[in-house]
Amino acid sequence: MTKLQARNIVKHFDHNGNSVAALDGVNLNVEEGDFICIVGPSGCGKSTFLNIVAGLEKPDSGEILLNGKPISDSGPDRTMVFQEGALFPWLKVIDNVEFGLKMSGIPKDERSEISQRYLDMMQLTKFANSYTYQLSTGMKQRVAIARALAMDPEILLMDEPFAALDSQTRDLLLVELQLIWERTKKTIIFVTHNISESVILGNKVEVFKNRPSKIKKEIIIDYRRPRLAEDENLQKYYHQILDELKSEVIARTKDEIQ
Amino acid sequence: MSDNTLKKRKRNFDDAANAALFIAAFIGVWQLVFTLGIFPQISLPSPTMVAETFVKIIFNGTLFWSVGVTLGRLLAAFAVSITIGALVGFTMIKFKSFGKTLNSFSAGLLAFPSIAWVPFSILLIGFNEFGIMFVVVMSSVFSIMISTYSSIRNIPPIYLDAAKNMGAKGFLLFRHVTIPAATPSLIIGLRQAWSFSWHAVIGAEILMSIVGLGHILSVGREFLDMSQVIASMITIFTIGLLVDRFLLHKLEDKIRAKWGLDNHR
Repeated sequence: MTKLQARNIVKHFDHNGNSVAALDGVNLNVEEGDFICIVGPSGCGKSTFLNIVAGLEKPDSGEILLNGKPISDSGPDRTMVFQEGALFPWLKVIDNVEFGLKMSGIPKDERSEISQRYLDMMQLTKFANSYTYQLSTGMKQRVAIARALAMDPEILLMDEPFAALDSQTRDLLLVELQLIWERTKKTIIFVTHNISESVILGNKVEVFKNRPSKIKKEIIIDYRRPRLAEDENLQKYYHQILDELKSEVIARTKDEIQ
Repeated sequence: MSDNTLKKRKRNFDDAANAALFIAAFIGVWQLVFTLGIFPQISLPSPTMVAETFVKIIFNGTLFWSVGVTLGRLLAAFAVSITIGALVGFTMIKFKSFGKTLNSFSAGLLAFPSIAWVPFSILLIGFNEFGIMFVVVMSSVFSIMISTYSSIRNIPPIYLDAAKNMGAKGFLLFRHVTIPAATPSLIIGLRQAWSFSWHAVIGAEILMSIVGLGHILSVGREFLDMSQVIASMITIFTIGLLVDRFLLHKLEDKIRAKWGLDNHR
């Protein structure tokens, strides 16, 4: 079943008075339970696309359909895990996880039951009463994931959530995220500039063109899970994506030099 | 008791010891200048003479009465100031061009000397409680207003994006995200406004009042009673210090600690 549909998304930015085309007709079909990874050269507009799906930015034209209905605003049915976590420093870990539930008016008992479950899933139970500054970057991202999952969204959106992590923590979370995906059957769209991340996580990898951007190629990765970073069999997918990306990165660099 | 609390106590003790030493040195220099007779006694009394005046005004009730009146005015005016300042600040956020315009006057409004409101207030309202409170409100309200405005504007957009993404909007967004996210910076504005109010209330009392700390200061001048002038000044200094240190600063420290803002190395 089609969960989410992006139809001909176009977006321009104003850059020193010039209009710069960021997205030039992005079309994407996301099936229920998909784990979609979006890769592309830096600055290609992949995060912009995700923000549009989240409803945090409006496209110039085109529309996003969720379960067949066009989305209008940002909402808890499409929760986002931001690159920097975006946790609230004035709240304890547990209150961060419960924040969205509180906003939707879910009573206290039910809230703590849900937050316990996800804190447990992300192995954060011990830190429930910590403030966010007391956590490492990796733990902050765990909280951010728990917070997003607690909303039980239709789609989980992740914007380079592991970009700031050290490689050991990242490898660990890459495995955990696959397990969570299998357990919760969530539909996930994951934006990254890191090809191996996309190969490990995605069952579909969408390669974005340099801007004005659209989807250049979709690569289907049908391979057993949990996939590990060191798995040699993933190399061929890696190279396939790399080949697609290379020309885009070169084009991008040329843009920047001019 | 944990190691940390012990260390903290030790540090507090050291701080207090240093402060005491500083005060002792100050009194020593003062006594020295007095003994050398550089100024006539009537212009500069000795520390002991000032202490005697303190004893006198404490026992005849003048001091407590004056402090009470001054703080009463200050608190009432400060409450008005916070209410109006915050409301105008929120309006500035809500109506962007209004906010921008008002903000462009902010430097002039903030730098405007509180004493300069006195003639205006006397003619507009008169020599009464409301006249004094008017001066205090005008001296601190802009500070609250501008700090409300800039604190909210400087909230990292990612907090608001994240909150909206989780379904927060309207009053819930304001109550649970905007206000807490702006708090560390709001507290700084509050401290500034407090010190402006404090300047203003003493200034206004010197010129417009028949009771209060500023008034006994000005009575001291009229009767050439330098001891009373100095005693009033010491009282003004002490209250200003205590309120900031044990109320506003404590509050700020507490919030900063909760946010982990003091963990820079």
